[in-house]
Amino acid sequence: MTSRTALLALSLALLSAPALAAKTMGGDLGSLGVVPGKVGGTYTLPLSDSPQTFNYYGAIDNNTYTVLNNVLESLVEYNLATYKLEPGLAESWTTSKDGKVWTFKIRKGVKWHDGVPFSADDVVFSYNNIILNPGVRANQIPNLSFGGEPVKVEKVDASTVRMTLKQAAGAFTQPLRTFILPKHVFEKIDPLKNPADYMKMWGTDKATEVIGTGPFKFAGYVAGQKISLVKNPDYWKVDAKGTRLPYLNRLEYLIIRDPQAQVAQFLAGNLDQVNITGAQFPDLKQKEVAGAPFKVVRSKALFGSPPHIAFNFDAKDPALAKVFRDLRFRQAMQFAVNRQRIIDDVFNTVATLPGHGVAPISEFYVNTRGALGKFDLKAAGQKLDLLGLKDTDRDGIRNLPGGKNLEFDLTYATDSTVYPPIATIFQNDLKSIGVKVNLKGLLVANMLATGQAGNYEAMLYAFGDQPDPQLRREIWQPGQALNYWHMSARGEDGKPVFANMQPWEKRIWDIFDQGATVVDPIKRRALYGEWQALFSKNLPVIMVAKADNLAAVNNRVGNFIYNLGPIPTYNTNTLVYLK
Amino acid sequence: MLSYALRRILGMVPTLLLISVVCFVVIQLQPGSFLDQYLEDPRVTKETVATITRQLGLDQPLWVQYLTWIKGIVLHGDFGYSFANGRPVAELIWERLGWTVFLAVLTLIVSWLIAIPLGIYTALNRYGIGATITNFLGYISLAIPDFLVALLLIALVLSAGGTNVGGLFSPQYIGEPWSWPKVLDLLNHLWIPMIAIGLEGVAGLMRQMRASMLDVINQDYVRTARAKGLAGRAVLWRHAVRNAINPLISLAGLSLPTLISGTIIASIVLNLPTIGPYLYDSLLNKDQYVAMTLLLFSALLLLIGNLLSDLALAWADPRIRFE
Repeated sequence: MTSRTALLALSLALLSAPALAAKTMGGDLGSLGVVPGKVGGTYTLPLSDSPQTFNYYGAIDNNTYTVLNNVLESLVEYNLATYKLEPGLAESWTTSKDGKVWTFKIRKGVKWHDGVPFSADDVVFSYNNIILNPGVRANQIPNLSFGGEPVKVEKVDASTVRMTLKQAAGAFTQPLRTFILPKHVFEKIDPLKNPADYMKMWGTDKATEVIGTGPFKFAGYVAGQKISLVKNPDYWKVDAKGTRLPYLNRLEYLIIRDPQAQVAQFLAGNLDQVNITGAQFPDLKQKEVAGAPFKVVRSKALFGSPPHIAFNFDAKDPALAKVFRDLRFRQAMQFAVNRQRIIDDVFNTVATLPGHGVAPISEFYVNTRGALGKFDLKAAGQKLDLLGLKDTDRDGIRNLPGGKNLEFDLTYATDSTVYPPIATIFQNDLKSIGVKVNLKGLLVANMLATGQAGNYEAMLYAFGDQPDPQLRREIWQPGQALNYWHMSARGEDGKPVFANMQPWEKRIWDIFDQGATVVDPIKRRALYGEWQALFSKNLPVIMVAKADNLAAVNNRVGNFIYNLGPIPTYNTNTLVYLK
Repeated sequence: MLSYALRRILGMVPTLLLISVVCFVVIQLQPGSFLDQYLEDPRVTKETVATITRQLGLDQPLWVQYLTWIKGIVLHGDFGYSFANGRPVAELIWERLGWTVFLAVLTLIVSWLIAIPLGIYTALNRYGIGATITNFLGYISLAIPDFLVALLLIALVLSAGGTNVGGLFSPQYIGEPWSWPKVLDLLNHLWIPMIAIGLEGVAGLMRQMRASMLDVINQDYVRTARAKGLAGRAVLWRHAVRNAINPLISLAGLSLPTLISGTIIASIVLNLPTIGPYLYDSLLNKDQYVAMTLLLFSALLLLIGNLLSDLALAWADPRIRFE
């Protein structure tokens, strides 16, 4: 190399020095239609209620999460297309051979919104004094404990953090999506000693005190009406062309509680985008076709809650419980779920066949569609005949072995557009094969508690899908708190009761136990594949359908990517621009 | 008069104490507690729930919780903490009180101004075609719930291409300093909630006024006034209306608590920043001090409303003053 080229290389390196910390975003998102955008403008979104607080660890509240997702950041973050975790505030990381020691290189050149440089101290303080602090209301101790002990977080030097686990963990980076807070703000009150004082920080009256490292800064909050965020001009991400992100000058959330009112405000042009349901789809699509200045976007996002039907293995009526535990009964019910009609009529065709515990677009998904079978009431009836559940007293309803009618309550949520019609369709189809279903409506908010208390016979309910099955362990592993259809597999002490599990349940328990500690991604995928096969064959619950995600978006919005909102680090607003 | 008012105000204290006990008991009888949402969440450990319980003082016996709350109110004017928001209840209510009072008072005034003349008109022209139509419309607006009116108005504005569908301002004016365009924007939004919330009140008041007017009109003293040759106008306003309005004054006192609870659904549908939806949330969340304070506040408003209407009645009717 001549001295001239060396000089040139040096000056080039110096020129690009300010962008050293910058990470390019959006270059690999072509599949989502992301293009370099235009700077400027105000983007207005709805928020379904007032946030309880702006202190991320102060409440479990989706509205708080949705807003703070634009302001705070984590060590790792989602790739918006693949849902794989990418470097965020951590530039890179390495793992020891046994998977127990993780070393993170912290990104340099990142600043808090008040200008103070971000460093390893912030990470260590956030974890040790807030995130893993048992006195903090929404602490993350359960997510960050492995082998019964919380992760140990230490500073190695100004830009290196080491985390030590008692036991190797397969999905360790997933809980690291939790947000980092500024040490220089919170050290004054010492959250370890005074957790109650910590809880009073960053309340809804102190919006403008809230700072993070994220693409947007707080500008103001009008109680019950509007949250205003403005662009962080020093943000560390650039687009494929080198333009500093975010494109938007302002991001505003209007607080509108009623979904219909949100749509009205969208139609009036006061909102740029609104997430909608299948029930609202035909009306808005019609308007779009008629030339309204917006588009209805349908996308297969990973998040979202596919409904299922659960039968209480521990139903209070022992004869009913015995029938529910019998696989043949659940197979009969599987035949009796008219998925095509539900997809067509209830979801207005905006849904697909469900996966089993894993969303069809997830990297963990194995194709279990074949196991869903076809809607076939005759086959369902034959299965019930084989079980000996015949109509012995000729009143049109099959009878249980003791002579009682085969009749059960189906508990479902009334405050929803999808559950009531699904429940009715299922009820009618079962009626035609001599099974009597009594519908029992509850509020969504009370469903889970009713399920966990065992006060139901059958239940129509839904849990959200997540990118990694490990994150849904509390639901699908028998003996866990949310495995509500078989609560007798869980002891009073919260420990699993293997004696009460069927063999396939025990195997699922083992799979989740192993999956938690295996680090090799191929082995993990194989394990969770086996679980999905067991699920689809043994039907702990009967999956109904997976709704696609729908949004109505104004034509002036560019780079729109569907976003549920409250999922930490799945932030699409950084790339949105106005045409 | 002054001593009477003072006596009444002092009398409110024991009543309010009793009401506060009732509020507390009612809230406690509600199944579940604020902590349920944490108990159900797998992200929260048992230890954390225990810590929160201690932080919120929910581990104390009920009577201690009650006494602490009352002591705070009496000694420091402290109405307790919102569990959900982690902020003093009084502050949170204060944030929302302005628009609530503004809307309620404005609706009250407008509905009186419309309802009273209509009531008199329909009573005087009992069999006229105008009165029949007004009565018919009155029945309809009594029968239609306020939120339905709100939804219909929104649909109407949307189909006419308007943008003022819900809320009190266009997004760009929220949180901005006051200016003429902002006032105009407010007026442009205000008529929808005025009609939606006020319509039912107008219809009800109109029927009341009509009924009590009809009672009065056939009284002997009205006939006497006519017989002694007083002008029709004077008979109407000085003799008939003045007597007929008494029941409405009593009614006005009772309408003060609707400030808080009267418009919950309409407020949600119309996206109004009032206290109603906040009360609804606090009851759902079992955010006990918020719910209790709002219930207590609503009881206080009822008592004050009653006092005010009694005083107004005494001012309007010498016979009551005399008794």
